[in-house]
Amino acid sequence: MKKPIHYPLANKDSLPHWREQLLQHLPIESAPAETCRVHYYDSFDWRLFQANKVLVWQQRNDDAQLYLQARRNGSARIAIDLEQEPPRFANELPPGQLRQELDGLLDLRAFLPVATIETRSLPFQWIDKEGKTRLRLYLEQHRLVEPGGRRSLLCKRIRVAPLQGYAKTEKRVINVLEKEFGLSPQDDDLLDLALAGMHKVPGVYSSKLNIPLEPELRADEAMRRILLTLLDAMEVNEAGTIANLDTEFLHDFRVAVRRTRSAQGQMKTVFPPATLARFREKFAWLGSITSQTRDLDVYLLKFENYQKQLPESLRADLEPLRTFLKRHHQQEQASLSKQLQTAAYRQLKNQWRRYLNSPLPQRPAADDACKPIGEVAPRRTWRMYKRVLREGQAITPESPAEELHELRKSCKKLRYLMEFFQHLYPTKKIRALIKELKGLQENLGDFQDLEVQIHSLQHYSEQMEQEGDMTPRTELAMDILLKGLETRMQEVRDVFASRFEQFSSQSNKNRFRQLFNPSQVLKKTP
Amino acid sequence: MKVIACYNIKGGVGKTASAVNLSYMSAREGNSTLVWDLDPQGASSFYFRIKPKVKGGAQGLLRRKRVLDDVIKATDYDRLDLIPADFSYRNMDLTLEQFRKSSTRLRRLIEPVEDDYDYLFLDCPPSISLVSENVFQAADVVLVPTIPTTLSVRTLYQLLRFCDKKKYKHLDILPFFSMVDRRKILHRGMVEDPPRTRSGFLASDIPYASEVEQMGVKRAPLPTYAHSSRIADAYRSLWQELKTRMNALPA
Repeated sequence: MKKPIHYPLANKDSLPHWREQLLQHLPIESAPAETCRVHYYDSFDWRLFQANKVLVWQQRNDDAQLYLQARRNGSARIAIDLEQEPPRFANELPPGQLRQELDGLLDLRAFLPVATIETRSLPFQWIDKEGKTRLRLYLEQHRLVEPGGRRSLLCKRIRVAPLQGYAKTEKRVINVLEKEFGLSPQDDDLLDLALAGMHKVPGVYSSKLNIPLEPELRADEAMRRILLTLLDAMEVNEAGTIANLDTEFLHDFRVAVRRTRSAQGQMKTVFPPATLARFREKFAWLGSITSQTRDLDVYLLKFENYQKQLPESLRADLEPLRTFLKRHHQQEQASLSKQLQTAAYRQLKNQWRRYLNSPLPQRPAADDACKPIGEVAPRRTWRMYKRVLREGQAITPESPAEELHELRKSCKKLRYLMEFFQHLYPTKKIRALIKELKGLQENLGDFQDLEVQIHSLQHYSEQMEQEGDMTPRTELAMDILLKGLETRMQEVRDVFASRFEQFSSQSNKNRFRQLFNPSQVLKKTP
Repeated sequence: MKVIACYNIKGGVGKTASAVNLSYMSAREGNSTLVWDLDPQGASSFYFRIKPKVKGGAQGLLRRKRVLDDVIKATDYDRLDLIPADFSYRNMDLTLEQFRKSSTRLRRLIEPVEDDYDYLFLDCPPSISLVSENVFQAADVVLVPTIPTTLSVRTLYQLLRFCDKKKYKHLDILPFFSMVDRRKILHRGMVEDPPRTRSGFLASDIPYASEVEQMGVKRAPLPTYAHSSRIADAYRSLWQELKTRMNALPA
């Protein structure tokens, strides 16, 4: 397909006037005006934009199509007919290539409306004596439809759609437009215009931390900068969490809360103790009100995986569990949404932000507040690293599960410290060490997940019994599921020793020391 | 790019109607689709209202004096392009004979557009000749519209024997019943108990319908003017079945 050529017109230009002009100067026929609405979608974190694609639902008089195509050049298009508004998730689309592609790109994320453009166009065709179209031309007026329904003019333009194999016709039309009317082509993308019109900047959201810090910065100022970023992350995910648009809003919201709590705890020598204690209590509350919904999210996401672990004949018998999970999820989600709209939550946010933005104290009571972050951060990180080593070395095959959980928590704290302050270290080195830590964390995380799952499923099974959801076959299915999880848990546990050995290898120890405790390195070298 | 040849030794069995309608459906679904009207009679070019004329003729194309891209014409439908017929195609056999490796000439000719299209439909002339050999070398699938009559089935066996002898390992030969008239005992009997072939008959068949003949008057693919007709549905299910069969082929 040949690329269309766009000629922008002035906003004040009248389309009927242009219509007359075009008909006078070119042997073209006009067709009845068409109106079409184009809705653009992307995930909250702009996954399609990052993949250089757009998802569009186009509504015309008599048909509607959903299609995915490359941004700007429009190639590699996959389309399906879709009369009603697209569903929120890729896996709710009819099976086929489009669903498969979107599923791969979006995973758990919902597609959310990004922009809607309403186009009124006057089509023209250059038709030869065989009745064959040699070129199409459109006089277009594009309007941005804002969420409230208000429309504002985006642009007016002439779009020339040349057809392959009819170069002479194309040349002649271009000649008239450029030489006689003095127009010049310009390659404006409508979505870009619409986003600019709504002051949306695509691709700005990421849940990954990367906060610029200078080593000489006061520690309390550095911490405020980090905590403000985390507070922003919470707020950005708040609306999606309340509306339950997809599971990742709550997930990212909780990560921001957890990171905040970890920063408060690990860097406590930087903050005034009384203020800190007050906020820590409130953030603990925030953590607790979000955990039930998240747990149920996780079980619902894992559900199909659970079913696959059962013999085929029993898979359908697990459905009552899904019904149970969904019902409870609905209740928990409703109560979470309510909590996030209370005055208590609003106050917490406002007070926290006010504190983080307040002027830095001249003579702070906290020991480390005035010290450079380049000194405090490695010291705290080194301390946590040593704790991880100590706890890990104490674990034997006979150690109770709690010890692994303690180690898991310490690893998480260490990970956050490394991520908060990654800007202070050489990028390559810190990333490599984070990766080493990740390997250990995965093992510990799997272990913990399995244990919690086993515990919860046992608990749910009792609850289902009480709520009358249980049948003997469902019970059997859940028992088999539990057995499978227990076996898996043992396997994960067996791997721990080798994972820890790798993490605590001498070469890793040296690398950690080099980044977080340079003084020791210096002492050893003569 | 998957190459689908619409082919039968016999004429007037629905090759062009299949090529035009299936390619239209493919493009409507979002696939970049190309039709090559290899038949000097130029029926599919006529249906698409494109002059059956290629600059330089068969000679120019086969001698690669012109790149394929230069002769491709867009149809009136999005993502659907055509290489028109040319009267000189009637001598394509003779032109081909001049080349060494004369039976793979066509295959090499389409290589440059391989990445531009998802599907290429070859609307083939009837008869069995060096052109057909070129088609078999280039195609992934040979779609054979077959009228459920004795003579028609006989030509199908001729084709199968020919391909067996030539040992085309890559080729999937997929016959389907075309122009089926359920009022006729012979048609009914044959459709219900199709002749045995290695890959079997496709389950979708195309009934005899006046809407197909209308294509010549409307000069457009059938679904554009008879979208909800029984015959359009028949083509749609044929296209779905064909796609499923092709997806099962090794890439």
